[in-house]
Amino acid sequence: MSPALRPWLVPAAAVAFAAVLPVIDRTLPPALSIAGLLPGLMVVAIVALGLNLVTGFTGLLHLGVAAFMALGAYTYSIATSTVYPFQIGPWPGLVVAIALTSVAGLALGLPAVRLRGDYLAIVTLGFGEIVQDTLRNLEPITKGTMGINPVPPLVAGHGLPTYYLCLTLLVLAVLACRNLRDSRLGRAWAAVREDELAARSMGIGTARLKLAAMAAGAGLCGLGGGAWAALQGSSVEPGSYDFQLSIGILCAVIVGGLGSLPGVLVGVLLMFGLNQIVLVKLSNALGITGANAAVWAQPTNWKYLVFGLALVLMMRFRPQGLWPAAAGAR
Amino acid sequence: MSAVLDIQGVTLRFGGLTAVDGVSFQVQQGEVLAVIGPNGAGKTSLFNTITGIYPPTSGKVLIAGHEVARRLDRRTVVTWGVVGLGTGLAATLGVNLADLWTHAVNDLFAPPAPFPWGKAIAAVFHGLAPTWWTVAPFLAGLVAGSAAAASLWYAGRRGPELVARAGVGRTFQNIRLFRSATCLDNVLVGMHPRLTSRWYDALFRLGRHRRDTAEGTDRALALLDIVGLRDQALRPAGELPYGHQRRLEIARALALEPSLLLLDEPAAGMNPTEGRELTALIRRIRDLGTTCLLIEHDMAVVMEVSDRIVVLHYGRRIAEGTPAEIRADPRVIEAYLGRDPTPSRVQAAVIPPGGRRG
Repeated sequence: MSPALRPWLVPAAAVAFAAVLPVIDRTLPPALSIAGLLPGLMVVAIVALGLNLVTGFTGLLHLGVAAFMALGAYTYSIATSTVYPFQIGPWPGLVVAIALTSVAGLALGLPAVRLRGDYLAIVTLGFGEIVQDTLRNLEPITKGTMGINPVPPLVAGHGLPTYYLCLTLLVLAVLACRNLRDSRLGRAWAAVREDELAARSMGIGTARLKLAAMAAGAGLCGLGGGAWAALQGSSVEPGSYDFQLSIGILCAVIVGGLGSLPGVLVGVLLMFGLNQIVLVKLSNALGITGANAAVWAQPTNWKYLVFGLALVLMMRFRPQGLWPAAAGAR
Repeated sequence: MSAVLDIQGVTLRFGGLTAVDGVSFQVQQGEVLAVIGPNGAGKTSLFNTITGIYPPTSGKVLIAGHEVARRLDRRTVVTWGVVGLGTGLAATLGVNLADLWTHAVNDLFAPPAPFPWGKAIAAVFHGLAPTWWTVAPFLAGLVAGSAAAASLWYAGRRGPELVARAGVGRTFQNIRLFRSATCLDNVLVGMHPRLTSRWYDALFRLGRHRRDTAEGTDRALALLDIVGLRDQALRPAGELPYGHQRRLEIARALALEPSLLLLDEPAAGMNPTEGRELTALIRRIRDLGTTCLLIEHDMAVVMEVSDRIVVLHYGRRIAEGTPAEIRADPRVIEAYLGRDPTPSRVQAAVIPPGGRRG
């Protein structure tokens, strides 16, 4: 094989595997079938890629990605749902969601670019809470805690079309991240992350770069949020885009490997896969569900135990993540 | 012709401590000028003033005849105004959002009937008619937005990034490479202001991105060749041995195509062989047409490469001249070695006549 093709080997194999997975999945008994649950994971992975752009590439600790996901979900819902007059259709709706969340990212970035480390983290955390409360209290627009319902899907058919569509969106998101990383802009982001003073001494204007990272990351989160609403058929209530979700996504990115694209995917697959697939299947297989068992005995309630344990073990044994970014990321 | 760098009476104070005290000198095109002085003489503080990390308390730093600072032009002021207007509009909409939406959307939307867009737009304008609830947030947003934009501009009107773009490259006393990036990427980062591709070029892999990458890589490899690190191009910078890291920093600074190169103790921690290689490298850089200003403790290197030397002592310039003149200057010898053993005034005051030392 020619050396030019070698970096494509693993990604191509992964995409090929993901593409044939639904076919294999059909032959499995329903208790083991997972293809129906994967689109949700792929959408979360898109949001995680957005966070990775801000925190992994540029080094800005961001604790409010769920808020951008919520903005994307609500924008998509309002633009497309039949309970509003706009009804611009799923694809334009997705574009509007991306554009609006990017602007929101820019607006959050403007007061925040001059803050460092912990202070920026606090601002993003506060932003996450503000967005949730605003969505809950702007009842005439957002229907408050009820959420917006119904929201049209991106494609008709809940099975294979949705699966392949989400896979395509995820692949496009990964490619976008890679293209940005391996460019003048991405190198400058890495420089700002590694040593801000040295970066400035090379003539790199850090404020503008940080704004660009915030906007691009928010845009990806908006895409994820819009796709999430389309997948759920509802904007889902504001309380579900909470700090827990932001932290869960951050954990996934850190466990996978901050700044590493395959790492982010592995992290989401492990952390959210465990939560949304393995524990759910385990609950069903053991016949332990809400009605007949104590709260602590249900595997679905173990997720924070698993999250916490995974973080402790990772920090002790492999702080760089499961699949860390290669040097020079090439 | 104006000097590449013209330092005019620069003073830098940190509270009560005067780190640099009224220093003036010029660096001419094509020369290598060394700044020397004992520890704490203010050399690095002077460097940080030149590169815009600290603004001077008084005095001026002129690069190619100009002070490096963003100028207040018409476009800047217009931008403040636009930001203010945008903030004002956003504030007005934000404060009245629920009412506007209720009147323009919820009251008019009755599904089987088509949505009356004209009436909705009219309702929005009606809702935005001047009242306390529209004017006050608009004015507050206008003032706050433009003030914030102006203060952001003011805070960023000086700084190392502007000095770098004005053509001053630098290295650091305590090496500051991007350690996890490859040597090649380090040099490419140094090239940042000279490349032109933008985010959409990168995102969609347009022609400008490919051209940037190809030409940038070629030039970066050529620079790595000059400092003798071409075969290390794809190694992470943090893995290089110390002397190589110093040379990589020089390559990264040269990537800017600087008209003036500032070297902060490039020979620190080097053995005599590495020092000699460094001397040859600095000569080569000068021969390629880059003016150099260096701070250095290693006198072998300083005497070898410098055309002129400026000596600082307690923040003051105490001497300036060719290496031969400096070597013979009694003030310099005194600054480094102290006065010869005749009683100073302090000693005379403390030790009574006829005491131990007479």
